Amino acid sequence: MEFALNEEQQVFQRSTQQFLKSKGDLEIPREYSEGKEEVLDDLWIGLAELGYMGITVSESYGGLGMGPLTLVPILEEMGRAVIPGPYIETVAFAAPLIEKYGSAEQKEKYLEQLASGNRKFTVALLEGNGELSPTNINVLATQKDNEYVLDGEKILVSHADFADTLIVPVRTGNNEQDISLLIVDCDSSTLQMEKQISMDESRKMIKVSFNEVAVPKLQLLGDENTGWEILQDGIQGLNTAWCSNMVGGLDRIVEIATEYANTREQFGQPIGRFQAVKHKIVEMKMNLETARSLAYYAAWALENNTEDVVEAIAMARSLITESFIQSASDNIQVHGGMGFTWEFDCHLFLKRAKSLENYLGSPEDYREQVVSELVGNKESLILER
Amino acid sequence: MDFYYTTEEEKFRDELRQWLVDNLPEGWIEGKREIPQDNEGQSKFFRDWQRKLFDGGWSGISWPEEYGGRGATLIEEVIYEQEMARVQAPPQINVIGVAMVGPTLLQIGTEEQRERYVNKILNGEEIWCQGYSEPNSGSDLAALQTSAVKKGDKWIINGQKIWTSMAHLADRCFLLARTENTGKKHEGITAFLVDMHQEGVETRPIRSIDDQHIFNEVFLNDAVAYEADIVGEVNKGWKVSLTLLSHERTGVARQIFQLNQVFDELVEMASTLKKNGRPLIEDPIVRQNIGRLRAKSKGLLLNYYRNLTNSIRNGYPGPEGSMDKLGASELGQEIYSYALSLQGSVNTLWKENAAVTAEWQYEYLRSRAYTIEGGTSEIQRNIIAERILGLPKDIKY
Ligand SMILES: Cc1cc2nc3c(=O)[nH]c(=O)nc-3n(C[C@H](O)[C@H](O)[C@H](O)COP(=O)(O)OP(=O)(O)OC[C@H]3O[C@@H](n4cnc5c(N)ncnc54)[C@H](O)[C@@H]3O)c2cc1C
Repeated sequence: MEFALNEEQQVFQRSTQQFLKSKGDLEIPREYSEGKEEVLDDLWIGLAELGYMGITVSESYGGLGMGPLTLVPILEEMGRAVIPGPYIETVAFAAPLIEKYGSAEQKEKYLEQLASGNRKFTVALLEGNGELSPTNINVLATQKDNEYVLDGEKILVSHADFADTLIVPVRTGNNEQDISLLIVDCDSSTLQMEKQISMDESRKMIKVSFNEVAVPKLQLLGDENTGWEILQDGIQGLNTAWCSNMVGGLDRIVEIATEYANTREQFGQPIGRFQAVKHKIVEMKMNLETARSLAYYAAWALENNTEDVVEAIAMARSLITESFIQSASDNIQVHGGMGFTWEFDCHLFLKRAKSLENYLGSPEDYREQVVSELVGNKESLILER
Repeated sequence: MDFYYTTEEEKFRDELRQWLVDNLPEGWIEGKREIPQDNEGQSKFFRDWQRKLFDGGWSGISWPEEYGGRGATLIEEVIYEQEMARVQAPPQINVIGVAMVGPTLLQIGTEEQRERYVNKILNGEEIWCQGYSEPNSGSDLAALQTSAVKKGDKWIINGQKIWTSMAHLADRCFLLARTENTGKKHEGITAFLVDMHQEGVETRPIRSIDDQHIFNEVFLNDAVAYEADIVGEVNKGWKVSLTLLSHERTGVARQIFQLNQVFDELVEMASTLKKNGRPLIEDPIVRQNIGRLRAKSKGLLLNYYRNLTNSIRNGYPGPEGSMDKLGASELGQEIYSYALSLQGSVNTLWKENAAVTAEWQYEYLRSRAYTIEGGTSEIQRNIIAERILGLPKDIKY
């Protein structure tokens, strides 16, 4: 039994950290949200050079052929610097789905480009009120010869302007789960995009409108009307990845709070000497380590497709999201007035945390999943061996 | 990263499992877990169990083989705790002796002390207690005032200890006393091995909130110890006391395993109890609460495994043990408190009148001690802040 990052994963961690530092660390999301969008292009080129775009792409397409566990340290580091861009959507969602469900042509067309950094994916998932449910997938795909014609609107598509390829669940029939996944190339389509102003400017949100957009049938990912199922698979990857990303955020928060508490003085002593402050930071640290353990475990369960993978991810997701919001809030408190300024970094984490709170489901939804699994599998509950 | 055990480790587990089936009291595994309530009956029950563990080779498994242990690895110790938790095995009455005093003597005791004590610790012939806390020094342990003065070849001990668990059953005490006043409180402390069966030692019971007799006051009136009873050097007892505590390395493990197991029973209870004619487990709020506790428990368990991995890699345990202790104790309180909440207005009925089983009420009350014994939560937080995070010390010592 061994439950910690191995040497290779630690190497990934260090080199990601070095790389992101060289690119400006927390200046990256700041510059990006102030409109300097080139930082994202630059970042992407660097990630591709490091080979990080191809981690989950098989070796025959120029990738490393690794799984979710390898992503863990990289995503933590990205979370530490609140990095913008659709890295998770590309590497933890699109790549594994195309590997698993894509046709030979699709693999040929996308995977090599993805691994070399020349294909940037995002997922156009939500509609209407933002709820994630089959009945809320209403972008209509009408068949016409060898094409689907799409009509409708997706919201909160992160970094759709930067991405060149979208994975889009669309409605292909009248039954609730008659949903299919389409791979939509942005360049060959006439998509309308409109920025949605969000508190968390490090994740740029875009409304994408489809007005009679024709997409070849060849772009169907998996079989027709199996899209919802495939999507669940993809969402596991997204959730696991976001969990590690949030752990990185938590890690940075503890670091920042500790540093501030050690240097800021009031009443003639560092504020970290006051237990009300000190113990609050310990609470953050406790939450961080629990979060990290759960995120590791979720990635391990996903990589090995264990029996408890659904529960593992749901536990991680429900707990980590809430811890992230809590610690990000407490961090502002520890910084006093300084924490409320735009200039200090505290708010970057709070906004990121809040923007992820209900993304792909609320903490309550995931806790409910934990309990269904618990009640459903009572026999298997006997102590893990 | 993996959660697999080697074939040898699995063999170890199977062997222990079989032994437990063969040796636990009749009906224990099935849930008939009765322990005599009177002092004498209880003492006999626990001593018998300790003896059985010893005879089976299941006491002090991490001790070296030449002293009667198995030289078990850390992982084997963890498997041991998992299996003990699984069957909710009776506690080891001599846990202080087996887990702490014995290993300390093996590490820094004299040859004579090893020969005199170690075997009797393991076979349960001599039960040990730990005399650290005093009425005026609990968290601030180093402020202790019980004194030991040298007179010829004897040391005469005077003072009072309190909260001494098992003192009423114990034969010997690992006791800290002040042998010099230098003005610096960490200096001048000496560790003694004190005979509890002597005139100068008087033990008085303290009743705890769960209506049990677990701990005691111990009065020392001209109690006697000899040169040979000193552990380490005179006036260097503070370091010895820390050595003792450092051996407490898997204690929190069993608690963490128990907390992860308790969900079986919690879900069972919530499926049986009803509100508005429907099982509680169907109530969305109940489900949310159980889901939250479950995720935290799993996180705690995984943290423990992660710290364990780091201890194995580094070759020594880090200060992260404080995080395990803090997490387990507070979560334990939360879980047992919620278990009582689920029982509705009959939740305080206990003993023969308990609505479900009185174990919920007992453990609920017992859990209030989790965050006090072995260093309070506040002290754990200070340790984590200072030793792990590097925040300033809050008191100038
Ligand atoms: C069931 C049980 C069994 C025990 N068994 C033994 C035993 O076998 N042998 C033994 O020697 N002792 C034993 N103890 C004693 C235990 O170690 C002490 O109770 C504990 O160390 C706390 O000391 P205290 O009770 O004097 O509380 P105090 O130290 O007086 O603490 C009172 C409160 O003040 C807080 N406090 C104190 N100092 C600080 C600080 N610096 N910062 C913030 N808050 C602070 C504490 O956290 C606590 O909330 C046992 C206790 C219990 C409950």
